[in-house]
Amino acid sequence: MTLKRIKTVILKEWREAFKGGKAIWISTIAIPLILLGISFFQLLQFSDLRNIPPEELPPVAATLFLVPLLYFLMFPLVIPHTIAIYAIMSEKEQKSLEPLLATPLRTEELLIAKALASVFPAVGISWIAFGLFLGVVQVLLPTAVLELAWQQLGSIWLMALGLFAPLAAIFATLASMAIATRVSDLRTAQLLSSLALLPVLLSAFFLVFQHLMGKPMLLGLLVLGVFVLDVGLVWLNAKLFRREEILTRWR
Amino acid sequence: MIIAENLTRRFGDRLAVEDLSLEIAEGEVFGFLGPNGAGKTTTVRMLAGLLAPTTGRAIVAGVDVWAEPQRVRTVVGILPEHPGLYEKLSAWHNLKFYADLYELSNAEAQIEKYLTMLGLWERRFEPVGTFSKGMKQKLAIARALLHNPTVLFLDEPTSGLDPESAKTVREFIVELSQEKRTIFLCTHNLYEAELLCTRVGLIKQRLIKVGSPQQLKRELYGRQVVVELKEPIDLSRDLQLPFVHHMHTDGTRLLIQLDDPEAQNPLLIKRLVELGAQIQFVREQDRSLEEVYLELISEEPR
Ligand SMILES: Nc1ncnc2c1ncn2[C@@H]1O[C@H](COP(=O)(O)OP(=O)(O)OP(=O)(O)O)[C@@H](O)[C@H]1O
Ligand SMILES: [Mg+2]
Repeated sequence: MTLKRIKTVILKEWREAFKGGKAIWISTIAIPLILLGISFFQLLQFSDLRNIPPEELPPVAATLFLVPLLYFLMFPLVIPHTIAIYAIMSEKEQKSLEPLLATPLRTEELLIAKALASVFPAVGISWIAFGLFLGVVQVLLPTAVLELAWQQLGSIWLMALGLFAPLAAIFATLASMAIATRVSDLRTAQLLSSLALLPVLLSAFFLVFQHLMGKPMLLGLLVLGVFVLDVGLVWLNAKLFRREEILTRWR
Repeated sequence: MIIAENLTRRFGDRLAVEDLSLEIAEGEVFGFLGPNGAGKTTTVRMLAGLLAPTTGRAIVAGVDVWAEPQRVRTVVGILPEHPGLYEKLSAWHNLKFYADLYELSNAEAQIEKYLTMLGLWERRFEPVGTFSKGMKQKLAIARALLHNPTVLFLDEPTSGLDPESAKTVREFIVELSQEKRTIFLCTHNLYEAELLCTRVGLIKQRLIKVGSPQQLKRELYGRQVVVELKEPIDLSRDLQLPFVHHMHTDGTRLLIQLDDPEAQNPLLIKRLVELGAQIQFVREQDRSLEEVYLELISEEPR
């Protein structure tokens, strides 16, 4: 296993994906920008925050920060849906797997590289978007708001962005890849993978809203659940990513 | 350089290749012929470490393919049935990607060398999707050569190319064989096989026959001499030459089968002249490899 080969494949995936599909630009750049815009717009609704009496700040801050957080948690689920599927389908459509497998590249390296090529942007973009959001909050609203929000929500942010986002991105990536290996055209692959993603998306929404009503354990459970799913998907993909399997059954 | 021992490969209950044993020496250009579905591609995949044989083993460039597949892949190059290039990427990025996978230290020099050699250097930054079929094929060959493999598998390198591109590719194969590389060439083009190959093997699940094109022709047809006469003559009297196996008369043309025309033609001609023949031309009947192929394949059960 060499990191060099993994890096080589990741860079090739990105170069190809961004030249390849409009869907990839939309999911990685356009949608995040739109959601960021909406978050900023909502922020303006609270521009009279300065006049709110301090004792009423906590509930307001909670609402103010949880909705954008929810948006940014969608990226890890949505972005792999385009990149990971493209990473498999384009190889299949171009019949480029055979020459690729004839190189010293190991199938584990191929699997890891294709997965990371999708997980990195998925997590990275959600972090960058949330960071930008916090930056704007810091500039526009009194410092006290951010401090309050951190006291109340800090552990949730860390857990959501630090654990849930990567695990969800891995889930979405591996699920999309497993589906793509079994399907022969891009549209079917995208349809099926959105069916697999949808339940997770919905439960993420549901649980975070539950949390709003004061059940902090739920996010932890969610993280655990996604982790278990990830382990299962790693096992499944390891079975799918065998040289023989790729050559003879990926069609 | 390539040794196959009783290679067999099944897909479910379909037998793709059965008990194939073969030895190919260094520097040989070995032609692999057979009808569609005969098992050529499957054999190449087994020899290049892509597909495990169901039974049997292979040694390529001194490496046991299934004991050390990783090592085999670094010493063989393969041009698969489909070029399988990344259409969105430029020619240069396609090759750079592969050079990096092989962890070549002289990547850029190698890329420049082959792109220049195959006439693609000027267009190196254009996406491969805009290339013609022939250009793609050449690029795929360049890709197979980047890491300087000692054994090269070419699966139908000229299929779908126009005559000129096919010629370029063939000339390139000749050049490669002069560099002491061993080339395993699957083809449906028998003219090409005859032109390029030191030996050919005929496969239809099983290996039917192996030999040089010349050998196969002789084995099947012996050697024949065609004598063209000015006027038909009566050959009802026997030629009385023991070395003539068979003679066929067709008006002014005589078709004579014998073993050693170099030694026996003078005697034959002398005798014919004695018999009153006015000889215009004497030449050896050249059978094409195609005739041999069709003959041998037709003997096989479907
Ligand atoms: N992945 C696979 N799954 C099932 N059967 C296969 C597979 N690959 C090849 N076969 C079968 O094995 C046999 C040999 O196929 P192969 O591709 O090796 O033939 P070929 O000689 O290369 O043919 P062609 O001249 O058409 O390229 C065929 O019957 C084919 O259907
Ligand atoms: Mg074939």
